[in-house]
Amino acid sequence: MTDFLQQVIVGLRIGSIYALIALGYTMVYGIIRLINFAHGEFIMVGGYTLFFTIPIFTDSFGLPAWLGVFVAIVVCAIVGILSELLAYRPVRKKGNRMTALITAIGMSLLLQNIAQAIPAMGPNPRVIAEDIFQAGSLDILGITTNRTAIFTIVIAAFVMIGLQLFIQKTKLGRAMRSVSENKAASTLVGINVNRTIVITFAIGAGLAAVGALMYCAQYRTVTNTMGSLLGLKAFVAAVLGGIGVIPGAMLGGMLIGLIEALVTAYISSSLANALVFLVLIIVLLLKPAGIMGKNVGEKV
Amino acid sequence: MSETKAKKKGISKKTLIIIIAAVLVVAVAVWAILTFAVPEKEAETIKIGHIAPMTGALAAYGTAVNNAVELAISEINADGGLLGKQIELITKDNQADPAETVSAFNALLGEDVAAIIGAVRSACTSAITGLANDEKIVLITATSTADAITEEDNYVFRSCYKDSFQGRMVAAFCAQQGWTKVGILYTVGDAYSTGLRDSFLSAAEELGLEIVEEQSTSDILAVDFSSQLTTLASADIDVLFAPYYYDTVGPKIIPQAREAGYDGPIVGADGFDGTESVTVGDLSVYENVFFTNHYSPEDTSEIVQNFVSAYNAKYDPASLNALAALAYDAMNMLAQAIETADSIDHDAIREAMVGMHYVGVTGDMTLDETGTPAKSVSILTFKVVDDALVQSFVATAQ
Repeated sequence: MTDFLQQVIVGLRIGSIYALIALGYTMVYGIIRLINFAHGEFIMVGGYTLFFTIPIFTDSFGLPAWLGVFVAIVVCAIVGILSELLAYRPVRKKGNRMTALITAIGMSLLLQNIAQAIPAMGPNPRVIAEDIFQAGSLDILGITTNRTAIFTIVIAAFVMIGLQLFIQKTKLGRAMRSVSENKAASTLVGINVNRTIVITFAIGAGLAAVGALMYCAQYRTVTNTMGSLLGLKAFVAAVLGGIGVIPGAMLGGMLIGLIEALVTAYISSSLANALVFLVLIIVLLLKPAGIMGKNVGEKV
Repeated sequence: MSETKAKKKGISKKTLIIIIAAVLVVAVAVWAILTFAVPEKEAETIKIGHIAPMTGALAAYGTAVNNAVELAISEINADGGLLGKQIELITKDNQADPAETVSAFNALLGEDVAAIIGAVRSACTSAITGLANDEKIVLITATSTADAITEEDNYVFRSCYKDSFQGRMVAAFCAQQGWTKVGILYTVGDAYSTGLRDSFLSAAEELGLEIVEEQSTSDILAVDFSSQLTTLASADIDVLFAPYYYDTVGPKIIPQAREAGYDGPIVGADGFDGTESVTVGDLSVYENVFFTNHYSPEDTSEIVQNFVSAYNAKYDPASLNALAALAYDAMNMLAQAIETADSIDHDAIREAMVGMHYVGVTGDMTLDETGTPAKSVSILTFKVVDDALVQSFVATAQ
């Protein structure tokens, strides 16, 4: 039983990272119906920012390493805003959804290859030597786990609750919800649609930065391709939970993380990735709107 | 509707045909001039090709082996060269990727090299052994230990031992230390890892070791071992065998194993070499880790110390590892073969390599009929010295 619970904790930890990233996908899709394939690369940007800033915080100032996440959030938000302003908005004005999707794929490849070409980031994997959370295993009620897992799950939960409150209770959150429901009507009631979209990108990218912190705390290496598989699985999580629905992204993320951990532990590690993507296909066949998604349909 | 003159868009068909014909004529003319008018100069240097992971996950290996090959060549060149000619090294970066290795191999063939040294990672070398035999060019790998690389008497040789020997030595070390209950973590998707696991398993049977728990990852790029390590940590094992490369062992496997609650010994093979360059966090997690390797820099014999000082004088001492020593030996073995053959003809070099006896930095070796040397293995561990991890010699095994 303790074995199973340990694997569940592993699954929740992995799932928290997916959930944080899936939130970014779902928010952007909800507001402009675009699947931002470059979102995985925002994680990569966050990871590299942490690689550069954590040594500065720990060695030069003696501060805890996780403070680097605030810098990462700012950098990721800037990258997110820039992609929206420079790449997605012009395409949205002139093109259709297909061109916007292709632009997103192009942005993803661009960011990956820029990271590979910059010598300071470079093609070799970079190791973050400093501990972000204190290392070492913990024994809680007979279950062996570690501080990274606990902090990841707890921080992700706080972030998600905070985001849900923000969306429901604040004026900006209301603006985001109304823009995702009906862009034209939102303009009519005086919402600055473009500004709302930019803020959505910034928040989504900021969440990716927090996800990057969790990823780096556990896996310690950053490479230019670290975002691709992560982003892909988080996208599956977003679709599973219901793309465009924020609680859906959280649920989807946790589910995918649990599937991955439990399949690896009890069936086979080779099957884990295959099953995650099989879930995507099954969801799209049976309930394309996802677990918590509502099939609203096109309003004519 | 007003009449509009129909505007012709683009070039007419006739113009297009003329343009294509002109381009073809020019292309043929240029090719003819370059091929026939420029006389072929007799090669003034002997070219040796080298394929190594200069960038990417195994860059620490690539840099080390390339430095060592360069060092061997500069020593030979300073001494008058090979057959009176200077040696020119052409290095291609394969990023430890098998597909890139094939491209690198073809590029080197195009440069008309006498022989090729490479690659580092077993999966990459396996990608070009067939090609080397088809193209009849000698391929010597300094570091690829997978058994399947040299299976017959052909153009492929190596200066390192093979995994069936190495895996057996790891098992022997475990038996000798009294660690009879073994947990294994390996990756299904890599020739090096599976080869070592297979040879460890067959030796374990003979030596009376019991495999209590075995876990695997699906490919060499996996980052998350938590599920597997959690299971292994709860199993009753005396030792954990994890045949991976340093880029995974250092930042991921060892810290994750300790965090999963496993404090016992961890053993590995020569892929652990380089872990000291990618450590994370508290270095004490790396204690109680043992691995087989090709030589120890603490070896006091003259040939080893000469190599170590020559390397450290020319290159960053932190980059020196056992693979560099192997590459140094590989280049010198090639040089010996070319001298014996007194020619750079591919078949002559091959003839001279078969059954070669060579005394090098990594030991006294004689190549067997498949091209693999019989030699001894060093067992090393890690020690924390002045806030850094260093390798420390434990024993030799034959």
